[in-house]
Amino acid sequence: MRIQVRRTGGFAGIERRAEVDVTGRPDAQEWRSLAEKVLAAGHSTPPAVVPDGFSYEITVDGRTIRAADPRLTEDQRELISRVLKEGA
Amino acid sequence: MTTTHGGFEPVFCTIVPPHVLDRLARNEDPALHGPARRTLQRDAMERTRRHLTTVTGAAAVTPPAGKQAGQPHRTVYDAGHGTDLPGRKVRSEGQQPGKDASVNRAYSGLGATFELYLKAYKRDSIDGRGLPLDASVHYDEKYNNAFWNGEQMVFGDGDGEIFLDFTIPVDVIGHELTHGVTQHTANLEYQGQSGALNESVSDVFGSLIKQYTLGQTAAQADWLIGAGLLAPRVTGKALRSMKAPGTAYDDDVLGKDPQPATMDHYVHTGSDNGGVHINSGIPNHAFYLAATALGGHAWEKAGQIWYDVLTGGKLKSDAQFADFATLTVKAARERYGAGDELEGVKKAWEQVGVRTA
Repeated sequence: MRIQVRRTGGFAGIERRAEVDVTGRPDAQEWRSLAEKVLAAGHSTPPAVVPDGFSYEITVDGRTIRAADPRLTEDQRELISRVLKEGA
Repeated sequence: MTTTHGGFEPVFCTIVPPHVLDRLARNEDPALHGPARRTLQRDAMERTRRHLTTVTGAAAVTPPAGKQAGQPHRTVYDAGHGTDLPGRKVRSEGQQPGKDASVNRAYSGLGATFELYLKAYKRDSIDGRGLPLDASVHYDEKYNNAFWNGEQMVFGDGDGEIFLDFTIPVDVIGHELTHGVTQHTANLEYQGQSGALNESVSDVFGSLIKQYTLGQTAAQADWLIGAGLLAPRVTGKALRSMKAPGTAYDDDVLGKDPQPATMDHYVHTGSDNGGVHINSGIPNHAFYLAATALGGHAWEKAGQIWYDVLTGGKLKSDAQFADFATLTVKAARERYGAGDELEGVKKAWEQVGVRTA
């Protein structure tokens, strides 16, 4: 399972991308269940944004959902922060 | 100024058609717009709420009883590295500074912003009616951003690697609060050219707040946005430069400042709501050119002209650069006649390649 996060906007307007391939990782099941929850609750249409807020695209094995600060679900926030931290 | 209706509220059922609710929601009478807005919000939750903020501006908030006209009413909250807003109240108006530098900076920055709008433009807070100013600091963990959520300002601490605390530059605080002013006035749509104008207006007044605080003339100012925000290891001096868009940073991790200074280099992109933080470089540079041509304190003449356009009621929410530029030329003529000010403003837009009618 490949999880990609693309973050755009923000005060600086600087884009960030990161990607994690969880296949074969010891914690793969944990990632998988988090990613599935995020997909299940997600929307594919672009969310409304607030001035200078970050927008996110989360892609799991080719399926993309969109979200924006400050209205992220806990699962979305968790997944985004883990991918941006651990991903390359 | 504010009327209360003694608990009476018309009841709106879901049989009221949405377009009627929508009209009611725009009504000036709180007895009408209050329940209509709440109904719309209940029905469609976040999406409608955001739409409402776009079409009507923010809901009016009643200033507290003790609030005097011409005095700020600031409250700073500590989000405690979480994401629930506003968080714990840590400093109210009139309280002495505490030990938390972020709280103190936010409080002072709100004061500086309030002061510029009041002294230079006779505007009582961001809605012109004494709206309380709220800010939350320490939002989330190592959060590399600051934003305006439609009701308050929110500041992250930065990760310390690329960004430092977002309360450090006073122009960032002024930028966020100016999003509130725009929301309550021209309400520029946050997309494409109108979105870039929204961003530019926030940079313009953010920079003017810094210049006013430091007592600088247009010639003395650094015209940087976010100076002091980048961590020491980053190669760059700020996030944006109004004097020389595209030159604020050039770094291995951050990349290079992508802002254009003129229409020749306008960036067409779907990201960042159509490049609102990128193409704002063009109107930013026009303001810089106008302000330096007019000379003296930039908030006095150039700032007044831009303020007249933002608040004059003629700027449409979907305005393009040329619409805004044309209105600044008109405003310059109305306020200062056919003189150097008018010529300076015209020439500034010409230099960045934006036509004025």
